[in-house]
Amino acid sequence: MSRPFYRWAYLAVAVVLGAIFVYASAGKLADPRPFVTIIWNYRLLPPGPVNLVAIFLPWLELLVGIGLIVGFKRRAAAAWAAAMLAGFTVALLINAVRGLDVACGCFSTSSEDTHNAWLLVLRDLPMLAAAVWLWLCPPRPADARLAPASPDQA
Amino acid sequence: MVTFASVSRPLLRDALLYLVAALVLGAAANLVPGRQLAWWGKGLQPPTVGVDFQWIDAFAADALRAALPDTVFVDTRGEEQYRDSRVPGALRLSYTELGNDLTAEVETRLRGAGAVIVYGASQETDVEQLLAQELHRRGLSPPHVLVSGFEAWQASGLEVEGEAP
Repeated sequence: MSRPFYRWAYLAVAVVLGAIFVYASAGKLADPRPFVTIIWNYRLLPPGPVNLVAIFLPWLELLVGIGLIVGFKRRAAAAWAAAMLAGFTVALLINAVRGLDVACGCFSTSSEDTHNAWLLVLRDLPMLAAAVWLWLCPPRPADARLAPASPDQA
Repeated sequence: MVTFASVSRPLLRDALLYLVAALVLGAAANLVPGRQLAWWGKGLQPPTVGVDFQWIDAFAADALRAALPDTVFVDTRGEEQYRDSRVPGALRLSYTELGNDLTAEVETRLRGAGAVIVYGASQETDVEQLLAQELHRRGLSPPHVLVSGFEAWQASGLEVEGEAP
């Protein structure tokens, strides 16, 4: 793959994944209460930390999404995106195995918006792969004089 | 493959920066009145019968409506289902849109009601119980939740209204 093409592809994937994260955070930021119900319905966490997840996770999603789009500490944003998507996928997988079709809370905070959990797992996997790729395979600087001092600042 | 080099110290430092920013913003946003959540799961216990709501079956609900004409039915189903067919005079409230749906006028009506009966589509009443719990949390007497929802109401041959009753 030619280097310019790789750079453009990397940028495009980062922007698309970032936009998805920003979009996913919007409803939860507007009103975190329904999101609490959704986390509760996953039946994975004890009551205590459920609220903490609802309070902080949407902000992390928003910041990671913005970071991926604008390129601020993009590898770190991609690492967070990968970690979150891995967590979401495992949570969905557990409920898929249990046979529970939960409202995933991915893009909507409606607890009536339920889907087949296996399909949700399948939907998460390409995004997880993209996030891992963005994290582990940033394009090499084209020109050392213009490149950031460390790949981690890319 | 995730190697040590791929999780280098600058990357961890940058990742920590994101985490700290999210913690600060999340904490600040949670101080805004009207959208606050308890920090540690308080009030997140599942709705409890006898505390947050009471069960009621279709015939008892109809009898209650006859005895207390200011009984208010709350329909939690989708807009289309509500438009097509509902308990006469029922309000529509969506649990997830409660911030918009529960206007001051609606809240006043609910507070003044002789009884509040929440119903959904069928025997799945998770959302109805949560809505009843939320209304109770806002100071209403524990509402009733209709057993088996509108399905049971219709199956009992009770009066309905709407565009396609």
